[in-house]
Amino acid sequence: MPNIGIDLGTTNSLVAVVMDGKARCLLDGEGASMLPSAVRYEGERVVVGREARDEAPAHAGSTFTSVKRFMGRAPSDCRADAALFGYRMDDTESRFVRFLVDGRAPVTPVEVSAEILRSLKQRAVECLFGEPGGAVITVPAYFDDAQRQATKDAARVAGIEVLRLLNEPTAAAIAYGLDKRDTGTFAVYDLGGGTFDISILRLDDGVFQVLSTAGDTHLGGDDFDRALADLAWAQILDEDERANSEEHRKGLLTILERTPSRHRALLLAARAAKHELTEKDGALVRLEAGLLTGVSRKQFEAAIRPVVERTGAACKRALSDAGLSPGEIDAVVLVGGSTRVPLVREYVAELFGREPCGELDPDEVVALGAAMQADLLSGQSSLGDDILLLDVIPLSLGLEVMGGVTEKFIPRCSTIPVNASHTFTTHVDGQTAVDLHVVQGDRELVKDNRSLGRFELRGLPPMPAGVPRVKVDFLVDADGLLRVSAREEHTGIEAQIEVKPSYGLSEADIERMLEDAIDHAETDVDERLLIEARVEAEGILAALDKALAADRALLGDGEAGAIEGVASALREAIAGADRERISTLSKDLDAVSAPFAQRRIERDLTQALSGRDAEVVGAELGLR
Amino acid sequence: MTCHACHEPVGGPVCVGCGALQAPPVDPDPFAILGLSRRYHLAPTEVEARYLKVARTIHPDKFVSRPSRDKQAALQWTAAVNEARRTLKDPVARARYLATGSARQDERGPSLDGAFLQQMFEWREAEEEAPGSMAAHAVALQVELEAEIDQIFSRWEGGGGALDAVPDRLARLKYVTGLLRPAGE
Repeated sequence: MPNIGIDLGTTNSLVAVVMDGKARCLLDGEGASMLPSAVRYEGERVVVGREARDEAPAHAGSTFTSVKRFMGRAPSDCRADAALFGYRMDDTESRFVRFLVDGRAPVTPVEVSAEILRSLKQRAVECLFGEPGGAVITVPAYFDDAQRQATKDAARVAGIEVLRLLNEPTAAAIAYGLDKRDTGTFAVYDLGGGTFDISILRLDDGVFQVLSTAGDTHLGGDDFDRALADLAWAQILDEDERANSEEHRKGLLTILERTPSRHRALLLAARAAKHELTEKDGALVRLEAGLLTGVSRKQFEAAIRPVVERTGAACKRALSDAGLSPGEIDAVVLVGGSTRVPLVREYVAELFGREPCGELDPDEVVALGAAMQADLLSGQSSLGDDILLLDVIPLSLGLEVMGGVTEKFIPRCSTIPVNASHTFTTHVDGQTAVDLHVVQGDRELVKDNRSLGRFELRGLPPMPAGVPRVKVDFLVDADGLLRVSAREEHTGIEAQIEVKPSYGLSEADIERMLEDAIDHAETDVDERLLIEARVEAEGILAALDKALAADRALLGDGEAGAIEGVASALREAIAGADRERISTLSKDLDAVSAPFAQRRIERDLTQALSGRDAEVVGAELGLR
Repeated sequence: MTCHACHEPVGGPVCVGCGALQAPPVDPDPFAILGLSRRYHLAPTEVEARYLKVARTIHPDKFVSRPSRDKQAALQWTAAVNEARRTLKDPVARARYLATGSARQDERGPSLDGAFLQQMFEWREAEEEAPGSMAAHAVALQVELEAEIDQIFSRWEGGGGALDAVPDRLARLKYVTGLLRPAGE
């Protein structure tokens, strides 16, 4: 089954797939590609999408929208935002955000997102007539480690295998670049429902290279809605006759109360008016019967201008990090529904000194790009073997050193994967553990940056103070996530690392959610594991078929027979329901085909090094 | 080195016995990683071309459906290749690597001599009298140091001369470049 691409958006989410060499979004029963990212809990039942969104005012205490804003954040950072959406936070939990829900246990943003992902996966199952393979899920480029991890956790809770987290502007560039096969330097301006990213990329001969990225993970169309809602509410109050009464002036009379359900209705009405204002010069914000007010485009633009202007600083920083001036950008690509707002287009045109191009649907382009990357990762893509995606880390990584100062070890905009190592020692005789605090951001002081996590190195051999040399390796992988490993250099002892993510879910939390999710969906655990085993086996078989077709000449005597024997046994097993057998045969096939696969890698690497003998290169590399 | 998979001795990135992709070495030579000969005079385009060739073969994206051992090796190789590219594209890092075997400046670095520091002190004093004079001096010295480093390497690449003076010149260059950086950065 094909891999899928998922755009898990603040306001809307989409799923897409490459079929017959072309990416397309999968549609729901009514022909819509966008699934509103809204979830309503009704006892055991969960309603996802349009119905949940549109009926939010009547179910304010059990409906959640824009939860992407809360992913991977500390409860203390979220109180203001939660109040703006009218969500009640569970104050008994301090490690991660949890919302109270009418009529059931509290939920985390990860679980709410998992419901959206599950709904998209179900759509894929229906459209593709079977379980999809793995998924590429997009995240804002400016998402930090905790926000990325939270997205991966949500996929796991939803039972989706994540092949890669892909940055949204990069996904858009893939869709744009593969479509046009253009060469040049591009700026992707991505203003979604709740996040803003700007990425500068160079496209050349199948290479998509991100030069820099910047953004704000709490800036988007939601803020336009809120500004317009506040404006409309003030007008409604103002236009009420009683506003002129003596009692009101003295503060003795409240004309209208902004209850949670009216607040939700106001936000929905503001969004509808915002859409109208894209085309027209004026629109009505309609609340309930008799409560309405007119807003002109001028008023709307004045209200949102400060929000739009906040994107300018990030654009300038991205240009400066890429070492480019606006004049050196060949094209500006607009992504995200909020770029439909005329003021945004005008502002971008002014900022870059050129008209942005808008040939691709700004709502669908990210999902299409994700599907293309998912297809490329399948190893049997119809889109081309020569494509290479080089992305960057959005925020610098640093360590807390004496005096609460940050010592950067990986600068922002470094091409990933990227590694760095640091050597530490002990301060006390016989000390067997060392604490490290990793932060993200570019500020001098630790307190001004975001805490990523605390790492406790345990199991060091007891030695006099200052003698141990603990080398800690930090590696940021292709998903932009940090991995840490450590070793004491004198003894070679691997230190155990206990990671305490600053804001996030522990393994136990996720396991509990998985159990809840399975109970709730009434799916058999065994059934799910069997499906996972089949998907994995199909992936291995597909990769092998492709390798055999291309490089049969690299097979040794009798090797082809051995490989094909195991492969056909595995194919038979997939048709059955014995999970153990599928897993065992998958492993066997991996093992029996490993020398062949490695010969191909060796050949490719040797070719890449222009015929230089791999052994000679190895000797030079110090592998003697 | 022995292979992580079959424990036989191994000489290259790929084990000849069992074919496993090896973890990259701890302190790899960026020139060897990209298959370039050791020299200072290296065009960024040349580095980039080699980088893309190697990255296309070992990028983690090409190993998604492989066993986790190979995924891990691809990740580490690509990180090493990215690092090699960064070193070789930056003339200062490249010069430092060739002269000291490390692309990053040692925490202490070579100590700058008294005469140089005296000169810097005089510039700072003159700056108070005539604002802008320090920048003019700094730019001139920067150009001079870069030319000197260039010459040292030209001689070295021609088979003569040592690189002993390079760390000191790089330290001076770093100091002078620091003077030219706008405050607050």
